[in-house]
Amino acid sequence: MGVSEPPEGLAGDRARVSPGRYRVGVDVGGTFTDLACVTPSGDLVVEKSPTTPEDQSLGVMGGLERLGETLGISTGELCGSMEVLVHGTTTADNTMIEMSGAATGLLVTEGHRDEIEMRRVHKEQIWDPAYPAPPPIARRRARMPIPERLDFEGNILLPLDEEAVRAGVRRLRLLGVRSIAVVFLFSFVNPEHELRARELIYEEFPEVEHVSLSHEVLPRAPEFERTSTTLVNAYVAPRISAYVERMVKRLAGAGFGGQVVLMQATGGVMPPEYVARHAVSLLASGPTAGALGAAIAARRSGVEDLVSVDMGGTSYDVCLVRGGAPEVTVDWNWRYRYYIGLPMVDVQSVGAGGGSIARVRQGALLVGPESAGSVPGPACYGRGGTRATVTDADCVLGYLSRDRFAKGRMHLVAQAAEAAIERDVGAPLGLDLLAAAWAIERIVNSNMANAVRKVLAGHGADPRRLAMMAFGGNGPVHAWAQARELGIDRVLVPKASPAFSALGLLVADYVVDQLRAYVAPLSEVQVERIRALLEELRQQAAGALAPAGLAEAQVGEEYFVQMCYPGQNFDMSVALPEGLEVGETTLLDLAGRFHSEHEATRGFAFRNQQPLVRGLRVVTRGFTPKPRILAHLGTETEATKAMIGTRQAYFGEGFVEAAVYDGEMLGPGAHVEGPALVEEPFTVVVLAPGDSAVLDQAGNYDIHVGS
Amino acid sequence: MEVDLRSLAGHRGRLVERADPDPVTAEVVRGFMETVCFEMATYVSRTATTPILNQSNERNATVLDAKGRLAALSVGIPQFMLTSTLPVRFALELFGAEEFHAGDVFIANDPYHGGGHLPDYNVFAPVVVDGRLVMIPSIQCHHGDTGGAVPGGYNVTAADIWGEGVRWPALKVVDRGVERRDVMYALQVNNRLAGFLGDLRAQIGAAQMAAERLGELVERYGVEMVEASVDYMIDYAARRFSEEVEAWPDGVFEADAYVDHDPLGNPDVHIHVKVTIDGSRLAIDFTGSDTRQELQAWSTFGNTRGCTVAQIASMMDPEIPKNEGFFDSIELVVPEGCVLNPYPGRPVSAGTHHPGIDIGEVIALAFAQVMPDRAVPQTYKTGIPTTITGTDPRTGRPFIDPSTEVYAGWCNAAKGMDAWGAQAASFGNLWKATAEINESLFPHVQWSRDYRTDSGGPGRWRGLCGSHYRKEVRVPAKVYTYVVGMKYPMPGIAGGKPGAPNRLTLKVGSDSPVVVSHTAEWVPLEAGESIVYDYGGGGGWGDPLERDPQAVLDDVLDEYVSVEGARRDYGVVLTGSLEDLSLRVDEQETDTLRASLRGAPAPPG
Repeated sequence: MGVSEPPEGLAGDRARVSPGRYRVGVDVGGTFTDLACVTPSGDLVVEKSPTTPEDQSLGVMGGLERLGETLGISTGELCGSMEVLVHGTTTADNTMIEMSGAATGLLVTEGHRDEIEMRRVHKEQIWDPAYPAPPPIARRRARMPIPERLDFEGNILLPLDEEAVRAGVRRLRLLGVRSIAVVFLFSFVNPEHELRARELIYEEFPEVEHVSLSHEVLPRAPEFERTSTTLVNAYVAPRISAYVERMVKRLAGAGFGGQVVLMQATGGVMPPEYVARHAVSLLASGPTAGALGAAIAARRSGVEDLVSVDMGGTSYDVCLVRGGAPEVTVDWNWRYRYYIGLPMVDVQSVGAGGGSIARVRQGALLVGPESAGSVPGPACYGRGGTRATVTDADCVLGYLSRDRFAKGRMHLVAQAAEAAIERDVGAPLGLDLLAAAWAIERIVNSNMANAVRKVLAGHGADPRRLAMMAFGGNGPVHAWAQARELGIDRVLVPKASPAFSALGLLVADYVVDQLRAYVAPLSEVQVERIRALLEELRQQAAGALAPAGLAEAQVGEEYFVQMCYPGQNFDMSVALPEGLEVGETTLLDLAGRFHSEHEATRGFAFRNQQPLVRGLRVVTRGFTPKPRILAHLGTETEATKAMIGTRQAYFGEGFVEAAVYDGEMLGPGAHVEGPALVEEPFTVVVLAPGDSAVLDQAGNYDIHVGS
Repeated sequence: MEVDLRSLAGHRGRLVERADPDPVTAEVVRGFMETVCFEMATYVSRTATTPILNQSNERNATVLDAKGRLAALSVGIPQFMLTSTLPVRFALELFGAEEFHAGDVFIANDPYHGGGHLPDYNVFAPVVVDGRLVMIPSIQCHHGDTGGAVPGGYNVTAADIWGEGVRWPALKVVDRGVERRDVMYALQVNNRLAGFLGDLRAQIGAAQMAAERLGELVERYGVEMVEASVDYMIDYAARRFSEEVEAWPDGVFEADAYVDHDPLGNPDVHIHVKVTIDGSRLAIDFTGSDTRQELQAWSTFGNTRGCTVAQIASMMDPEIPKNEGFFDSIELVVPEGCVLNPYPGRPVSAGTHHPGIDIGEVIALAFAQVMPDRAVPQTYKTGIPTTITGTDPRTGRPFIDPSTEVYAGWCNAAKGMDAWGAQAASFGNLWKATAEINESLFPHVQWSRDYRTDSGGPGRWRGLCGSHYRKEVRVPAKVYTYVVGMKYPMPGIAGGKPGAPNRLTLKVGSDSPVVVSHTAEWVPLEAGESIVYDYGGGGGWGDPLERDPQAVLDDVLDEYVSVEGARRDYGVVLTGSLEDLSLRVDEQETDTLRASLRGAPAPPG
């Protein structure tokens, strides 16, 4: 699922770039706002600019200014001739981190007021009775029990008590609530009560800033997941709406006349009108763009099954890509201690990065999750950081250039790294400097390998059958060891690594992923009903996509039936390629398709059991044009001519002399043998003894991992 | 046949003589093993067919070494993970290590051969390198049935263990990679659930996957290094354990806890603990616990040991790796014949929970006398899950509704923190069903599970409120259950008050509601009648008169506590009304009331 690149020819046919116009991706990170731009001539330009945390749109404008300078045009010219700006923002995430969303209230089926606190019994720390509760979005006083009840088929057991809704809304207003979530049981089967509640809310409280209905935010069971998702949506929506409005206004002020779209965690982009109603879909969208970038860059090198790993300063983001698309999960998405039930690209993070702090506690060496970040940063940055970090170990082990770090903008202070490691790790463990640095390396590599294994376990994937794509400032430094830990023999490192997330934004498609409940044993399913529901979903998606102004040929639908065996609780999406042409014979086939797919993905099938249909799903995709090239390559195909020296580097058995190359000089076909260090502007590709790499046409270092 | 469980649980010594102090490799090996545990549990979730496994997450993954020592664990319920090691040891004794071949898989569920209760099936597979047994990954899961007289796995009035279900002390189900059809067939015919074998196969697949993964670990580091690492981590945990104990005050601390009654109605099942702390030595002695042989409430030695270690672990730095070092560091005395170590043959399906899980309570109460800061009982007062049977009109087939839904109860406050969520931290890996899940599976309606106002034990920090839970059956049905915690609710700690008691009423909505006094054995319900379970609250921590009055006001606004409760339990006087949110603390009246409740004269002014 998620996002795909259609075959090149098809993409060209379906999604045409308007001539003479720019396409820009802007990804806001913790420290830097990354920009990637496809120029009218099809060239790719990347830029970086500082992030402005108080209002990210300022940093975006600053980035556009820099981009204009690089392109040799004014910001106004750039904005005036921009076709689309694809924006990845962490505003929703920051709202949850700071718990600074709107004062939020909940109207909920009486008797189920406390689902959000009970969390299906889940607690994050089973060995720690003093682990605190999550910060509340709606305290109990702001959760109003409403008499009403449907059964699982949507029949009304108890009619909506309209006076209770009015009284509840009045009370929420008295409490200072600005945003209201409505969660009624089985509303996804029959939305009547929730829809009526919304009318009543507006009657009683016309100036309410936002109303989220659970069947619109997440039209599926069970109620805890839907409650949590809907509450988060209501909580972040007002701030997201305000932010997007500000962003659009700033752009308009600069002469922008194109389309703004925002990246969602589903892996698709959508216009602001849609995002304002589905603000929760922006949560955790940050790492998604990187995974999309990895998927498309790997595909250009002919690799479709891989694990993408993004190692930055504080975190290590892992995503499984299969069949050229990042895996999407709906099973276990916890973000900021709330459950988000939307399909999300399954990117898992662990606290391991260049800034991860190493220390010895009670005789055990720990690395991360605490991070020195970029300020004060690792000891070797000489910016005031004094604690030993992974980057300090990388420095001591010779992987990093002391003079040419970060395009030579920074000089690494090796003595500071050595002192920190000797003091924090060497002395307490009784190890010399080298052994201590190596110990840091082993622990962080093992933490990261275990993170990869956990992600793969969730999808039943075996790392030995996958390639690895490593990016982020530190991914290429550690990939050689990661691959060995995991039994992976092929690693790709993209040259566009530093601005990969912005690049990922540019390749993302529009995606509307919609579900509608329809519960019946397969034998009792009515074809006309299915057709009508699918058509309804298709039209809704068309409405949501309308502001994007896509041509008809640019839009495609995929139809699915949600099915399970009676007694199971997780549905499976079974493809329905017939779509609206579904007929009686299709239904007969559907059982067989479900059994086979179940066997393939979960290991067994009950062929004598009648599957249950639980819903319909339509994924509507608006294809966007993909950049022709993803990286600038040099011209030197003879690697030795790009060799700029040698450096002593450590790979576990004494220092060896590693050749150092200037990556910017290397051209397609250049071949490098390890041990070697290929220096790129913002990272170093480390090749261990036995490794060899070829820089391919697509701009990836294609590394064969030695044993 | 009898097995001496205490000797089965005995200290096993190190794997390698030479201590190889390579903490970094040891840490890498530990991380790898814990990841394998996670992978095993995830494998079961992905491939199991019945909700109890793929939904409630009741699956406990461990790795043992060749001596049957716990090397690592990560996912599950502490009490049950820690109980799941002895069945593996028994299989080692029965077969001998030389009969553990590469490609073998074993199954065990018997309480008198190391297990907890019969529905818990352990499945394990050896890692064999060059003909030598190196490690044994194991995955234990609770199944929805285990044969016997009563569907659902809980025959709490059975006269003996044989009446509770079928016993499998140790079976080889896969022999060198080949599934034994005779054994698998026997397993299936002894179980009511069609999905049983599918779920066992999920466990078998998980154990085989884990054995393969651990094989990779051994291949990379060599047998010797892996074994030295296991030794190192066990030594490390034991050292950290003794450092913690060393910091605790020396002395002998005793406590008592009671279960209301056994399923037959025999009252006041008593457990007694004597905790001795002497420097870094920790002894837990259950001598003095109930020995009435007519009782029907028996926790096997393995279960007792697991519950003991789980409670102790909850009072220590959560970062200490959980392994054999914990078992080795506790001197555990459980006299044979008492309710916590029954003579072979006694029924255990009720006793695994009560008095088994109540061990957390009695240990916490003993520690509360000297280090109340750490005393948070990791327990519950479930009785057994309420089983509802009937015929589903949608399918015409009988159904067994094991009531796996969410409800809240019995979670005590900790120092500095009000209790929150649904249950104590130990059970945080559970993931229980909800109305929208179970109403589509079973013909019932869940009308309520809200917190009950004033049911949380008052304290400076408040215990968790219990649920008011109401389930209406939509077809004629029968109910089977066992209720405790009515006479003995969750106790408070350090001056905190107890939580509200449990109360279960059947046939609500009929002319003759039935309050369950100890068990309900297939009480018939008509369609439209309800089961109302008022689950008990958790105990409070510290004197409620010392609770910040503003926090009490907040609790009243949130209806955890009533206006009357604030006055009665906390000595906090509120003015204004809850209706219009005008409630305020009357500070002067509060001071006066609190002083009089303390039995002291009111402060001047």
